[in-house]
Amino acid sequence: MPAAGRTARGLERVPDYMPEERPREQPKKRPQRRRKVKYALFSLGGGLDMPLFVFVMVLLAVGLVMLFSASYADSYYREGNSYSYIIRQGGFAAFGVVAMLVISTYDYHRFHKLALPIAGVTVLLLLMVLLFGRVLQIDSIAPNEGVAYRWLYIGPINLQPSEVAKFALILLFAQMISQYADKMDTFRYGVVPFVAVLGLFAVLIFLENHMSGTLIVLALGAIMMFVGGTKPRWFVIGGAVLVLLLLAYMTLGGKDESGEGGVYQMDRVSGWLDPFGNSTSADTWQIRQSLYAIGSGGIFGVGLGQSRQKYLYLPKPQNDFIFAIVCEELGMVGALVIMILFALLIWRGVYVSLRAKDRFGTMLGLGLTFQVGLQTVLNICVVTNTIPNTGISLPFFSYGGTALLMLLGEMGILMNISRSANVEKT
Amino acid sequence: MAKGISEKIRKKAMGVTAALVIVGFGASAGSLFNWQVVRGEEMSAAALEQSLRSTSLPAMRGTIYDATGTKVLAQSASVWTVVLEPAYLAEDEALRRTVAAGLSQILELDEEELYEKTGDKSSYYTVIKRKIETDVRDQINQFKLEHEIDNGIRLIDDYKRYYPYGTVASNVLGFTGSDNRGLDGLELYYESELSGSAGRLVAAKNGFGTDMPFEYEQIIEAENGYDLILTLDETVQSILEKYLAEGIEKFQVKNGAVAVMMDVKTGGILGLATHPNYDPNDPLTILDQNMLEEIEALPEGEEREEAEDLALHTQWRNKGVSDTYYPGSVYKMCVGAMGLEEGLITETSQYTCTGSVKIEGVDDPIHCWKHAGHGTETFREGLCNSCNPWFMHIGDLLKVETFCKYRESFGFTSKTGIDLPGESGSLYHSESEMGLSDLFVESFGQNFSITPIQMITACAAVANGGHLVQPHVVDRIVDSKGNIVKTADSGYRRQVISEETSRIISDILRQNAASGTARGGYVSGYRICGKTGTSEKVAKHNEDRTKPMEYIASYCGFAPAEDPQYALLVFFDEPGGDDPASNLTGGNAVAGPIFSAIMQEVLPYLGVEVQYTEDEFGQMDTVAPSVTGLTIGEAQEKLKELGLEYDVVGDESDWENRVVEQIPESGSTVPKDGKVVLYTQGYDTDSAFVEVPDFFGYDLVNASYVAAINGLQISVNGSRDAGAVVMMQATPAGDKVKEGTVITLTFAEELNTETYVHLEE
Repeated sequence: MPAAGRTARGLERVPDYMPEERPREQPKKRPQRRRKVKYALFSLGGGLDMPLFVFVMVLLAVGLVMLFSASYADSYYREGNSYSYIIRQGGFAAFGVVAMLVISTYDYHRFHKLALPIAGVTVLLLLMVLLFGRVLQIDSIAPNEGVAYRWLYIGPINLQPSEVAKFALILLFAQMISQYADKMDTFRYGVVPFVAVLGLFAVLIFLENHMSGTLIVLALGAIMMFVGGTKPRWFVIGGAVLVLLLLAYMTLGGKDESGEGGVYQMDRVSGWLDPFGNSTSADTWQIRQSLYAIGSGGIFGVGLGQSRQKYLYLPKPQNDFIFAIVCEELGMVGALVIMILFALLIWRGVYVSLRAKDRFGTMLGLGLTFQVGLQTVLNICVVTNTIPNTGISLPFFSYGGTALLMLLGEMGILMNISRSANVEKT
Repeated sequence: MAKGISEKIRKKAMGVTAALVIVGFGASAGSLFNWQVVRGEEMSAAALEQSLRSTSLPAMRGTIYDATGTKVLAQSASVWTVVLEPAYLAEDEALRRTVAAGLSQILELDEEELYEKTGDKSSYYTVIKRKIETDVRDQINQFKLEHEIDNGIRLIDDYKRYYPYGTVASNVLGFTGSDNRGLDGLELYYESELSGSAGRLVAAKNGFGTDMPFEYEQIIEAENGYDLILTLDETVQSILEKYLAEGIEKFQVKNGAVAVMMDVKTGGILGLATHPNYDPNDPLTILDQNMLEEIEALPEGEEREEAEDLALHTQWRNKGVSDTYYPGSVYKMCVGAMGLEEGLITETSQYTCTGSVKIEGVDDPIHCWKHAGHGTETFREGLCNSCNPWFMHIGDLLKVETFCKYRESFGFTSKTGIDLPGESGSLYHSESEMGLSDLFVESFGQNFSITPIQMITACAAVANGGHLVQPHVVDRIVDSKGNIVKTADSGYRRQVISEETSRIISDILRQNAASGTARGGYVSGYRICGKTGTSEKVAKHNEDRTKPMEYIASYCGFAPAEDPQYALLVFFDEPGGDDPASNLTGGNAVAGPIFSAIMQEVLPYLGVEVQYTEDEFGQMDTVAPSVTGLTIGEAQEKLKELGLEYDVVGDESDWENRVVEQIPESGSTVPKDGKVVLYTQGYDTDSAFVEVPDFFGYDLVNASYVAAINGLQISVNGSRDAGAVVMMQATPAGDKVKEGTVITLTFAEELNTETYVHLEE
């Protein structure tokens, strides 16, 4: 079959790119191929990890249904019809799934070479945001969102460079880790280059005033370094430094000469501590409405589509706080089921990554999986007021075309890793 | 690559994954449990509260009908409250201008102020005018239609209270506030029955406060209030008020007045007129001219506001139940009944009045109103003379304990429980602290205070065979479908005196009204039983001795004597203007004629049968026959047959001339041996009219003479005794009437019957 031939190509090439790494369990290669032929009859590629694909598709489907429900009222009041958001997101999802499947056939090893260029482009994009937003104040390119500059509007495309930065970082770190391999436990290779890259990214994103982006990038970078082999002691030192920096920023930043004001993150913290308080400085409306929504759901929820909180109480219920509507409509049971779905996806992502043929694949897959996991966990923690409010979207659920597109593309890469991994295909 | 490194990566990756999933999702799940299960109810309730708009649907207040069940005394009608929703208007400058200009014109409000209100972005509910009526509502709807305004102006249903008869029975009915809650009178007392229960429209709203497409709407229908059907009769009430007002003007009454009529068998109040009164449609306007003048004389400021406040509360006050007074000699009907009931005296028992009674231990003797003394009288004579010593004698015989027992039994020591708010309790000496002098003075009705409603209830017991009834204003309460919800207790509470005693006292009181000291209240043909009272306002006098003593003139009685049905108490507080020395203050002279006038008009309306005594028949007026259209000759024949004289005005040259008009008109009253004036073709219109003179103060002879020289005739009402003088005339002095018109005059004597020289405290 032609499909089989096409997918098999990637496998043949691996040794050419990564001569120092060899497939770990050569003997299993043969039965794997046989199954690939069998699967080629039904799917785009043999070797694609079915559970991973299923988890992604199920989460995407559930995400779209919930987006439709959550955006229903907001869309009606803002756009004049209830289908505006879901049609847009649905379009991106359809396109994204196709892209995902196409990318899943694209040998991930090719990213090996692309890691550095992509990182360079990302830095450029981040600088552009700062240039157009902070310096030139050109709203049509980098709009001012209160205090932050996160978006870049280039022609028809609008994207968050910080999102791109996460992918670029994962890619670059995977590449670096696979390259330094055994030297990861040294300070020179295991710490310095990573900290340099991470520091650059973090500072640029931080200058966008994008705290959650900064934290996620730092966390992702740290996790990859940790898994990749950097000595734990450096994390203790790095963590201490970061905490000090953060404290300094929170207490000293943003204040004027007389010591008034302060950074908006302080308000978020006080809002987190007292979501129902009457604190005038902290705007707790969003988190309060989120908790009303979650609480209204109870154990079994008010029923799909029956949310009351989405009727303009919870601001932009289709965005970062969509999980609150999930909790309201599907209840604790539904929310737990969705959390389990995410957990399964994370598990499968890690499972597949660990069985990748080479370290680059393993680190890339882990990075992508952890990104999804980290975002999910942080988002749900924000929505349930477990941690202070910070703008993190929920993968597969939150409204946002380019973000979804990128996510599905990343899932495509993960699937490509799965094709060549030593996984029991069912 | 080294296997060890891969293994390390695997372990670390698994560790990170486990940490992420277990800690991250674990913490999230914990939070979910907290918010959804532990605090779920709380969150859910809070969410529900913010997302529900609960609109009150006002209930229609019940209607108040008079005893006939057809006359509406108080009724609610739909009105609307105009509410702005500035949040919808604030953004649109042109719209704000349009709304401000349009509404200010329709509602007669200040345009700039309105414009300011439309700019309040945060408000969805700004009331701009309440209680607009149908025509204004239509104008607003038209305005909204014309300018295509959907949101921004709302009309909210409401009700307004109307009192079709204006001031009639105002102190009984009370009034309602702008929130439609009863503030006084029956409106207050029966608030829960009248108000019904407001309904609610519970609708879901979105975060912007507007309705949302959400199947969560619930209507709890408003339940309209119950209707009240009173024992009070509008006709009776109006008659009471008419004569009360007349009495107040005539006798220069300074401190208000009360007339209350009761069905002695059921306790139902047929009328309760008090003065001053007010218009419940507009309770904040002071109606009494005297009070108004006093207030206007005050300078602007706090003092004036206080005076206004006081005046308002005075006019709202139901003097019949909220004010107390010394009943004076009216109380003697009760004390007499006590003596008879205990067998201590009989109708014919004798006692000699020497003009005063000396009590041991008290320096000054207590005088009879007749200082010379009445001499030896029977009990019947004593009561008819309203002899104070006779009743001190009864008190002496009764002793404190028995006196107090009856006093309580008559209901003087507790509130009657009438269904009106603000009933006052009485003030009296308790049995333990009652000295002999207190007993003596109380025996003729002084030095203890009761409410008029207590007095008439006791009077009803004297009249109806000794049963104490429950006074009440509301006969029954019916729901909107006409089902009776509650009926008034019209049964007897207890037997106070025997039927025999009741009968004897009634008979003495009948004689009293016919020829005793209560002749002022006499009504020909209706067997009136009556007792006068003139109470001294001793406490007020003691406060400021420089001012002359003020009095309360009252008259309490019932009719008809053989089967008493209706009791009436009339009392005037401080009659006689500012100079009581030269003016009328006595119960017989002041309250008597008003009592008589009321009874004369009310009893026929209530269907009490007329029965004339032979004496009355002799003095009775006849009815003018119809002679219009006849020739003068024929008319003369006809009148002669009836024993009437005639007079011709106009051309009487030819006996064949036709009578074109007659005075008195056919069917109206003509005094016995009176005349009918016949008008023929071409009489001089101007000379046919005469001015009515002021008859006040003339005795019968003089009044007849003055009438005759003016070409008028008189019909005598009230006392025909030699000492009686005109107290009231039906046609006011100065009116122009046709020659021959019959003027009804009410005669009464000015007897300072009950006054006594008070004890020096």
